[in-house]
Amino acid sequence: MVSITFIQPDGAAQTVQATEGDSVMQTALNNNIAGIFAECGGAMMCATCHCYVEDDWSAQTGPKSDGEDDMLECAETEVTDASRLTCQIKVTPDLDGLVIRLPAELS
Amino acid sequence: MLDLPINETVTLADLTKDPYPIYKQMRAETPVVRVAQTNRIFVTTAEHTKWIKENPEVFSSDDPMTPMKPAFQAHTLMRKDGAEHRAERMAMQPSFSPKVIRSDWAALYEEIAERYVSQLPRGETVDLFSTLCGPVAARILAHMLGLEEATDDEMQRWSQRLIDGAGNFGRDPKLFAASDEANAEMNALFERIIPRHKAEPNNSAFSVMLRAAKPIPLSQMYANIKIAIGGGINEPRDALATIIYGLLTNPDQLEHVKKEQAWMDAFEEGIRWVAPIQVSGRRTTQDVQIGDVWVSKGETVMTIQASANRDEAIFDDGERFDVFRDKHPHQSFGSGPHHCAGAQIARRTLGNIMLPMLFDRFPNMQLPDPEQVIWSGFGFRGPLNLPVYLD
Repeated sequence: MVSITFIQPDGAAQTVQATEGDSVMQTALNNNIAGIFAECGGAMMCATCHCYVEDDWSAQTGPKSDGEDDMLECAETEVTDASRLTCQIKVTPDLDGLVIRLPAELS
Repeated sequence: MLDLPINETVTLADLTKDPYPIYKQMRAETPVVRVAQTNRIFVTTAEHTKWIKENPEVFSSDDPMTPMKPAFQAHTLMRKDGAEHRAERMAMQPSFSPKVIRSDWAALYEEIAERYVSQLPRGETVDLFSTLCGPVAARILAHMLGLEEATDDEMQRWSQRLIDGAGNFGRDPKLFAASDEANAEMNALFERIIPRHKAEPNNSAFSVMLRAAKPIPLSQMYANIKIAIGGGINEPRDALATIIYGLLTNPDQLEHVKKEQAWMDAFEEGIRWVAPIQVSGRRTTQDVQIGDVWVSKGETVMTIQASANRDEAIFDDGERFDVFRDKHPHQSFGSGPHHCAGAQIARRTLGNIMLPMLFDRFPNMQLPDPEQVIWSGFGFRGPLNLPVYLD
């Protein structure tokens, strides 16, 4: 198993066990992580699984998918250099200990 | 493994009148069933409808026989898969993004809503469906697409004719003649306003597509705008009418919604309860098992999100309109690659702007006789009228 920690905008952290081969988005849904909606079910068509992956993990999570930047442009929440769509990050053993930060809702 | 059951009795007329008791029975007894009179396979549970939409390799949107082709005079993105679909969809997606909603649409839509709501008469019974729900949806869409020159009536007529043509499975030539006429009118308008969009670009869909670094072919821009006209009026119109009906026939819930300003919850519940688009078709690209039955390659499978939204496995008493029910995702915006491109804009327009404004201006609005409201539709569903007393 691979453990992944999700940190909410208010700092609340939740560490969960992920299954290899799932996406980080599926892991979040399986564990009812607030702020991940994944309305399109992982087709990269809705940007409702947007999260931040900090620099120290970006090598392990790999490059963005083709078209991911375009879809991130349509995210509801603030997009930064750390932004990723979690449906595009596949859980591998390398990701054990991964930290994902959830975006704050814009008013 | 069981043989695919066949339902010989259900007719399109039954489904158009009231599909919900039929779907309830199907979920309980035959969740995957061939409906003989439509020669299509109905899939009615939430688990299956979502799974089908999220597996486009097995369940393709491409239907060579679709009446959408003659209706839109094009093979549109609704009936494409993979990279081709993505390229056409992403060409106009920026116009519907939260960023552009904030920068361009929110203030404009507030102004439009204000204009239409303030024109409503007082002291009489008014059909909100025809005086408000349709026209305001048309005006908002005209701006979003960059078609300000089109009147509300034109937008609504084009939309209806495209829909009628797209659903013309019986190939009635009169319906295609009507959609052809609408296509000619739309094409003429598009051609006329290209120079304006080139001279004064804005964030509307037409403008964004025209000024893209790598533009899609003009014919596909036209097809995309037509899809948005065909899909972008009746859905917010029917959603709005459905939500108003739900709130006015449940005054205790309406009071609670007003107190908590829970308009977005009312929006989500309304479209869960009666999904404006009830059914989406997919074609099997291989033999495949759905639940306990085997479905052959080349079959048309109807995923019934209207039924998924009331599935007992997910929703407690799903037949009931209940804004404050336990929250579970509904499937009214679909799932997978064809997830509704207008989902965010619909939420904001209805949940943040229209509903709070309407109930603020008409706090004592009443539906004197709910029995007068006529519900109709198999593919698309909503009230056909909404006679409300405004004071």
